[in-house]
Amino acid sequence: MIHRSASLVAGCRWLSLLALPLAFGCHKKTEPAPGGPGATPAAGAAAPITLALNWLPEPEFGGFYAAREDGAYKRAGLDVHVQGGGAGVPVVQMVATGRADFGTVTADELVLARARGGDVVAVFATFQTAPHGIMVHSSRGLTRIEQAFDSGTLALETGLPYIAYLRQKFHWSGAKIVAYDGGIAHFLTDPMFGQQCYITSEPILARQKGSDPQVFLIADAGFNPYTTVVITRGELVKQNPDRVRAFVAATAAGWRDYLDDPGPTNKMLGTLNHAMDAPTLVAAAKAQLPLIETAETKRLGLGAMTRARWQTLVEQLVSLKLIDHAIDVDTAFVSPEAR
Amino acid sequence: MGSTKRAFDTFIPPLLTLLLVGVVWEAAVRVLAVPAFLVPRPTAVLAAGWNERVLLASAVTTTAAGALSGFALSLIFGTVAGLFLSLSRTLERALYPYALFLQTVPIVAVAPLLVLWFGPGLRAVSVSAFIVSVFPIIANTLAGLRGVDARLTDLFRLYGANTADSLLKLGLPSAVPSMATGWRVASGLAVIGALVGEFVAGFSEGSAGLGITVLAAYRQLRTDLLFATVILASLLGLSLFAAVSLFSNRLLRRLRARV
Repeated sequence: MIHRSASLVAGCRWLSLLALPLAFGCHKKTEPAPGGPGATPAAGAAAPITLALNWLPEPEFGGFYAAREDGAYKRAGLDVHVQGGGAGVPVVQMVATGRADFGTVTADELVLARARGGDVVAVFATFQTAPHGIMVHSSRGLTRIEQAFDSGTLALETGLPYIAYLRQKFHWSGAKIVAYDGGIAHFLTDPMFGQQCYITSEPILARQKGSDPQVFLIADAGFNPYTTVVITRGELVKQNPDRVRAFVAATAAGWRDYLDDPGPTNKMLGTLNHAMDAPTLVAAAKAQLPLIETAETKRLGLGAMTRARWQTLVEQLVSLKLIDHAIDVDTAFVSPEAR
Repeated sequence: MGSTKRAFDTFIPPLLTLLLVGVVWEAAVRVLAVPAFLVPRPTAVLAAGWNERVLLASAVTTTAAGALSGFALSLIFGTVAGLFLSLSRTLERALYPYALFLQTVPIVAVAPLLVLWFGPGLRAVSVSAFIVSVFPIIANTLAGLRGVDARLTDLFRLYGANTADSLLKLGLPSAVPSMATGWRVASGLAVIGALVGEFVAGFSEGSAGLGITVLAAYRQLRTDLLFATVILASLLGLSLFAAVSLFSNRLLRRLRARV
């Protein structure tokens, strides 16, 4: 199973998208009042909403699909079209240009986009703990993440902010760094091979194939951006805050449903994504539970975001020299109302 | 002087077009206030290229190594294969479809397999460049050898020339124009093959090639660097193409001079 931004054609697909702003002039689009002249979102009168996902339909998006299937979106008067993604889908650009109303990205992508002039705002943070990790063979007996960089081979995607963080924090020596191709074929054959991973994906698959994966979470190493963050364009938040609030509330309800009982939604996910079988879906949904529902969300509600976390992320990105100077955190996110 | 005017006529129009496009692009981006991460200004692209010149210089060297070694493999294997296929119609019919397969195989899907078989780094990247660029050489070598003037072939046979002599003294020299076309086409493809190979087979640290640099720039939403890298990749392909063209023209001139 190929996973996580194997951006083989990323550059090309993105380049074809850049024709859009040129074609439409990329002027500040004034959105026609959604929901018709009635203003209040009445069922059936609402304009369709697109939610663009940044990966294939998988348990990491379970709550969104649950909200659709269980009718949470419909009850809020929203006609939501959940658009599954794949490798290299340029979600940030799609949302910034209005191609999609909402999208899911990692928090650091949002900060980078804002730093480079994009007006996109975070409204819901699914993963409170980032599911990114470094996966090695447990037969190597490593006890700390930095040991993974001392020997063997490590497949990493150089451009990712968390990779830059790891490089800055730990002294990389000895390990041969190669390109990450999204699969686990190499991992299965070479005991000294390690790679970046998504905790709901590669380790589960490796274990199924009889391997002995051991995962070190990047979050534990000190870099913990919110992940599968729902974003939208700033002008939508300004012009139609009720619609955004309704969408976020319905999304939280969907996630509550999915966390309580992933079974029905998993069944549906299995039909959308043939690469994941039923046991994998169950294992992935279970693995992500502690990353989505934490002490903080029990207090503040699912998807909650704090200023402190965003501020930390911005400071880390500045110190990694990925952005020139800090952006204003307060305009970058709108935390969902506590329920 | 004639050659100065010729140079002037050849280079000035495209350069002026480039300048005009650059000015219009820069103005459009500024006036329409397009965010930097969607469409970069030409000046930003140039600045990014200059600021990262050390990284880019090293990246060009790495990709060039992959492209050139893949191209060399294509030249050797492609020419020999073309020669081989020209020896008999039956052989051609039996093996040509498989040569064609090399043309149509989607390299993006095959590249991960190459890493598995050859290990990451130069070897897999060269093989990727080879797969993408070998078919034009086979096809054009074969076409060139098949297109030899029949009367000359008869003449050679009349004088009892053996296969080797026919090939070396008649076949190959006549086939050079066609082969040169194959070389030119293959040169550009070799660079593309190397780039695509690098997406999965490249080394990420130290000697990262242009392919890895493109992906990293995209990941960090540094579209100005992305554009600069893509432009450099095109220039690399163009340079190889120009070098091959120059060599082909010289070779053809010398061959014609001998007649």
